[in-house]
Formats: sequence, C-alpha cells, structure tokens
Amino acid sequence: MAEVSLKGEQRVFMTGNEVIAWAAVAAKAEIMYGYPITPQNEIMHYWTRLAPKYGKKFLQTEDEISAGFTTLGGVFTGTKAFTATSGPGNVLMQESAGMAEMMRLPVVYIIQQRGGPSTATVIYGQQETTLTCFGGNGEGYRIVYSPATHQDLFDYTIKAFNMAWTYRFPTFVLGDGYQAKMREPLTIYDPEEKGIKLVKPEPIVADLGQPQRKTKHLRNCLNTEDELYEILKGHQADYDALSSKIVEWDAQDCEDADLVIVSHGVVSRAALGAYKKLRAEGKKIGYFRPITVRPFPQEQLKQATKGAKRLFVAESAYGQLLKIVQNNLYGSTLEIVPMLRPGVGITSEEIYDEISKL
Amino acid sequence: MSKVIKIALAGEGGQGVQSIAEILAEAANEEGKNALYIPNFGVEQRGGVSIAYVQISDGPIGAPKFIKADILIPLSPRAVKRTTDHAGPDTVYIYDNSLIQEGEVNDNIVGMQYFDVTPPCPTADHPNQDLPQDLIAGEPKTCSFTTEGKGVDPADIPEVKRVIAIPANDIAKNELHPRVFNVIILGAIIAATKVLPLDSIKNALEVKLGEKFTANPKLRDMNFKALERGYELIMGAM
Repeated sequence: MAEVSLKGEQRVFMTGNEVIAWAAVAAKAEIMYGYPITPQNEIMHYWTRLAPKYGKKFLQTEDEISAGFTTLGGVFTGTKAFTATSGPGNVLMQESAGMAEMMRLPVVYIIQQRGGPSTATVIYGQQETTLTCFGGNGEGYRIVYSPATHQDLFDYTIKAFNMAWTYRFPTFVLGDGYQAKMREPLTIYDPEEKGIKLVKPEPIVADLGQPQRKTKHLRNCLNTEDELYEILKGHQADYDALSSKIVEWDAQDCEDADLVIVSHGVVSRAALGAYKKLRAEGKKIGYFRPITVRPFPQEQLKQATKGAKRLFVAESAYGQLLKIVQNNLYGSTLEIVPMLRPGVGITSEEIYDEISKL
Repeated sequence: MSKVIKIALAGEGGQGVQSIAEILAEAANEEGKNALYIPNFGVEQRGGVSIAYVQISDGPIGAPKFIKADILIPLSPRAVKRTTDHAGPDTVYIYDNSLIQEGEVNDNIVGMQYFDVTPPCPTADHPNQDLPQDLIAGEPKTCSFTTEGKGVDPADIPEVKRVIAIPANDIAKNELHPRVFNVIILGAIIAATKVLPLDSIKNALEVKLGEKFTANPKLRDMNFKALERGYELIMGAM
C-alpha cells in the first residue's frame, strides 16, 4: 500500500477515527485538545502520530471539562482547534459548548457516540443526539452534522471547521462507535486543491502580535435580564438566518412514496438498503435522511412526506430523532411507526422485516 | 444492486479472528472492491468470544453489521453457540472440529479494562505461565490452542445450507505452527467465497508482515503454506 498523503486524490481504506485525524489535517486544524475515552481514542492516537510530520500540536488534559475549555482557549487566540469525545465525556463537554454558544466561539467537537446513559457500553449508540443538539443550559445554538459513511466523516469534518469559523457557533460532527471502528474505503484530498476554500481563523479576543491591539471583552456573565435577552435575540436571529442556508439532507423517491423511512447517521445506511430492496419489490417506499440534525431540514422533510401516509422512524435511541421529527412536523396527521433500539445497531434486514410486516 | 458477500467470523480471543478479517477486507479493497470490516468490540477482556463482520461487494455496502451471514465461521464450541443468529438457510457454515481448550472468561462478562496486563499467548504450551502471576491470581485464564478441550457438539450446529468441518487447529499444531491457525482459516474463506484470488491475500500478507518476512523468510513459507492448506481443505470438501 502506498503511503497516505493529501496530495491529489487518494483512495484509502481506514477506520473512521483515522479518517477524522486526516480530515482535521486537511482542514488545517492546528491543535487538538483531548482526554481519552472509547471509542474515540484513536483520533488522538492518529493525530499525535501525524502531528510531527504536519507541524501540529496536541494537549492531553486532565478530563473532558478541561479538554472542552482548553479548546475554547485555543480558539480565543485564533487557532483552529478541536476536541473529540464520547458518552459521559460528551456530557462533561457541554459546559464548554454552552460557553461557546454564549460567546460565539468557533469550536469543533467530534463525537463518537457510545451506549448510554452513563458509562453504559463503549460500543455504539445514537443516544447523544439530544445532548449534542440541545445540551447545556441554553437554546442549542449549534451546528450538528450526522455522517453515515467514511467519505461523510472526511467531508463534513472539513466542513465543520469552515462552518464554525464562518458562523461562529459551536459545530459538531456526530459520529458513533461503529463509524469510529469500522474500516471502509474513501477518497481523501486536499480541499484547497479541489477549490474548497478553507476559512482562515482569526484572533477572537485580541491579536497578540499587534502592539496597538484592541481587545474585545467577551462576556459570559451578565448583570441584567435585559442584557441577556438582547444578546440572545441577536444569537437567535443569526441562528435562524443561517438555518435555511446550511441545512443538508438526502431524499430519495419520496414524491410518490406511501411510506417514508427517516433515519440519521449510520442507521441511514441500513435504511437505504431496506428502501432499495422494498422499491425493487415494487413497494412505494421513500428514504429521507437529515444530514444536519441541528438545524433540522424542516421544510425538506415536510415536502418529502407531503403525499405519504406513513412515516417510519428508525434510530438507535429511544425516540431522540423521533422527538425532533415530531416537533418539525407539528400539525401533520401522518401516522408514525417508530423502530427504537437504544444503544443497539440496526441492520437493513431488520428495517426490511419491520416494514414488510406493516 | 451488486451482491454483497457477508462473512462473519467468531473465535476465542487470541485465535486471530480480527487479524484475518482485517487482512481479508484490505485485500478486497486492494482488488478494487468495496469492503467493510467491523469488529465486535467491548471492554477489553481475555479469552472471551470475539466476532468480526466483513462485507465485500462490487457495489455499495449498507449497514456495517448484518444478521444472516453467507459464510459463517465459528472457531470454538462457544463461538458456535454465540453465532446461531447469524446462521440462515443460505449460510455456508465452516467450523473447526479440533479439540481446543476455551478461555474461562464468560462470554457476556462486563469486566475491567486490562491496561496493565500483557495478554497471554494461547499458542504457548502453558499460555498463562509467562504472565506476572500476582497480577492474574484469581483471574479467569485464557484459552489454549495446545491443550485439548471439548470440541464442538454437532447438536449445537444450526440448520444451514452447507456444513463443512475442518480440523484447522490440529493441522496448525501438528503440521505447521499453532500461530498460523488463523491463516489456514483465511485460505478456507477464500476458497468458500471465491470473491478474491489467493494471490491477493498473499500480497496483503506481504504488506502486513513484510518486515517480519524479510527478517525470517521461513515465516513467509509457513504462512503461505497455511493459506494454501486452508484453501485446499475447502476445495476438497466442496
């Protein structure tokens, strides 16, 4: 096998964790802060292996609270910084994510979901969907991508940095343990060679290199209710404005579908397989996958399900995507058939069987 | 849609199930096919059953795991019991009918993560003897490929399309070396699936073990011999 590099396009065969490390290099991230937790450990391992060659830095902190806040500190100085975690670590990082929402900090979090609640399993789950979209004591001003393939992991990790530095909201790549550990082929590339512009980071508090620098006072603690309300109105308006611009989704054969399967992340691979098999049998089945789970492609889902009689929601959680879907389809009388398997993988065969039984 | 070949391998920790799954998937990728490999991983444990899922196709591959395997290869008595869900009417079932001693660790154990213990070598004559005894005192012991244990009970084998028994562990132990047991299995998989040429695996082995082969050319011969032996076992049986 040839040595992996980002020159030109190269087809590689690797684990999802390795893909993330390469994507962060491709996105010109400069430093990773992290604390080990399965199943994301190898992101740190691969990053530290690549670091000397590409002039990158790494800091292992004492826990995830610290990893989250040191990442914020890196971003303050205008450094492209990221961190990665899972499960209980994701819970601890919500504190920093909340601060990033408040101060509008372009921080990137990679989440490889494991089973929950608490320590649960180190394996797999989609039970951090609510946490990643809405964790923290605020309104969930975040951008959350839910990748399904290794190509997605690479593409959307690069995009996450761009979105974070463009819109200044914390941005998450919501993967999972399966994606972290499995190996499959993908094409890696230098985004700039492909004409993808990488958004340049800039100092957020003050440019320490400038003698006449102006410093900004970023506030996280406010005196009055009115002050807070003013700031949040601004954040809300910015978030509402970006939503229609950045939502992403994949809809297939929904126009004439009687039943539309809705799923996200790795489960949508199973959904895609089941939908294709059912279509081949002549059944009118559609497929819908939100790629951004926050903001959610509300209009697109409404459009995709306009003619449908039933919605089939499959997820490896007990109703986290389901709640988002219900919320976004408020007023619709569509029947929803849930397939909820918290912390357990879902295969094409299982979705196919469940739908065939209807 | 292109056909996706689904292969599930299960064995005792230390039998090398994950290594050959990885080699198989990498060889398929090098042949220009789509391949997906995912280990069934949990907290680290010594001697439990380990499962590997590999899918190979000329087209896209869906979910990383599956229920019914086209080729199911359980390599110990309890791997047979653990994988009954993966056996279906279209499954070709290859199992090892040698008598190996299983590990003492319970299959569904939720244990501590062993960061501080060197994993035992099941191919050694006494696998647990070279470990720091104070650390493993009272701990469950690993499986052994050199000590005889009970074999697969034919009553445990589910209804499938085809059952093939091969004494891979005995062949490895008596004719080659216990360590190349998994490479015999790899040869058997190539013969049973016919998705890849045998040479693609040889190339993948060269990539993976190239340095060791250069240092000790005998190792290459032994691995290739094991690969061919496994291949012939299945070709002879099918």
